[in-house]
Amino acid sequence: MTDTLKSICEQCIHLNNPQLDFIPANLSRHRAIVLRDLGELVTAASAEMEKTVVILAGSLFETVLFAFIASQQAYIVRRRGAFSLDPNNATLENYKNIFNRWFSDALPAAVLPDFIVDYRNLVHVNREIYFPPNVCERASREMLRTLDSLLGELSRFGTPP
Amino acid sequence: MAELAQLDLPAKGAELRTKALIEDLLAYHMGVYPGHKLALAVWFGKSTGSAEHNILELFDGPPMDAIHHFGRQPLDWKTGSGGPPFAMLHATSVDYFSKLMAANPDIVKPYFDRAEVLYFDKHALTENLIRAFNIINEPSGLMKGWYLSVDDWAKFRTLQAAMASCRHVRPDVGFVKIEEFADLQGCRGLLHVEVEQRWLPLSPGGLQNYTFYHDVLAERRGYFLFEGGALYRIVKFEVITAPEYSRYALEKSRDDRYPEVYLRAVHPPEQSAA
Repeated sequence: MTDTLKSICEQCIHLNNPQLDFIPANLSRHRAIVLRDLGELVTAASAEMEKTVVILAGSLFETVLFAFIASQQAYIVRRRGAFSLDPNNATLENYKNIFNRWFSDALPAAVLPDFIVDYRNLVHVNREIYFPPNVCERASREMLRTLDSLLGELSRFGTPP
Repeated sequence: MAELAQLDLPAKGAELRTKALIEDLLAYHMGVYPGHKLALAVWFGKSTGSAEHNILELFDGPPMDAIHHFGRQPLDWKTGSGGPPFAMLHATSVDYFSKLMAANPDIVKPYFDRAEVLYFDKHALTENLIRAFNIINEPSGLMKGWYLSVDDWAKFRTLQAAMASCRHVRPDVGFVKIEEFADLQGCRGLLHVEVEQRWLPLSPGGLQNYTFYHDVLAERRGYFLFEGGALYRIVKFEVITAPEYSRYALEKSRDDRYPEVYLRAVHPPEQSAA
């Protein structure tokens, strides 16, 4: 018997007590949405709702990465020469790619594997049917732990100006 | 320190700025042609001091019948500038380029001269193209596979059933063997995961996000099933400092620390006795 979602969630200190100082003041609405969704995620995990956790965690990855990258554009510009978020490519995959490319050296423990997007895409029934029947059991646990780890790393990275 | 003194930082800076501009153009091209997905982008004939930069773009989707040349595209297009630097675009389909490469290698030779791959989608490329452009996306000897918890294995019971269930999903774990034990039943090595289409070693911090790690910590059995049908039970994980392990990975760890996994071969029945 694998760990329950409730027990995993109880060990995820950044999900239960999020430090979102990395989200700048001009993205206050994003911060409010992250806080709301984290609360719902913890509730869903405590109720062992695996699919709900997968979908909500996927949504949180997207919001958190967007807010972080948006707040760190100056950091990327310093390294790359120029950078702007493409409004026509507002996808989790794009944010994950940007994050891994520009922050994996500074935040190696927060590197996001490609399967995070596969898990989030379980929202589409014709994706889920190709996975083993219990995919949500594992996906929900790894999404929770990875999101917790990401929030912890981002909160240590520094606050935007 | 002679090497440091010889670095030409202004030239490197110019190259990186040009590369960033080209990547912005490529990002735009990824979604601009309905039915054609960008599969490969190569900056060839690289010359950073030049006002014109040659880009080859190969697209997935319906085959084309030629390499199309689009003339000068201003790389500062986002700012509205029509001036230099320019991209000289050469675009065709994966299918057409692959055939041309096989039939007439001299024609495609310029595309391999001082070439740097800026973007690839390995799922849209042929093995020949991946090799020809020297796209290295996994370390030598990598075995790819899937994690099976003890509950998963209890449902499958046979390799055939397990493989049938897993083969529709892309592998979620990679393993590079470092040592095979004397009895040939056990081994140890580095775990990898796929990041941006490249198989990279797991970091000690990243390891803790995975179910297989927590299952082993809790003394629950767990298995890796690799493509080809080899099944191994996970024995233990150890995080060690080993600078020499960088040769087993595409990228070295920043602090030379790697989580090592010990595996033991399992020999279940191929098929159910029933």
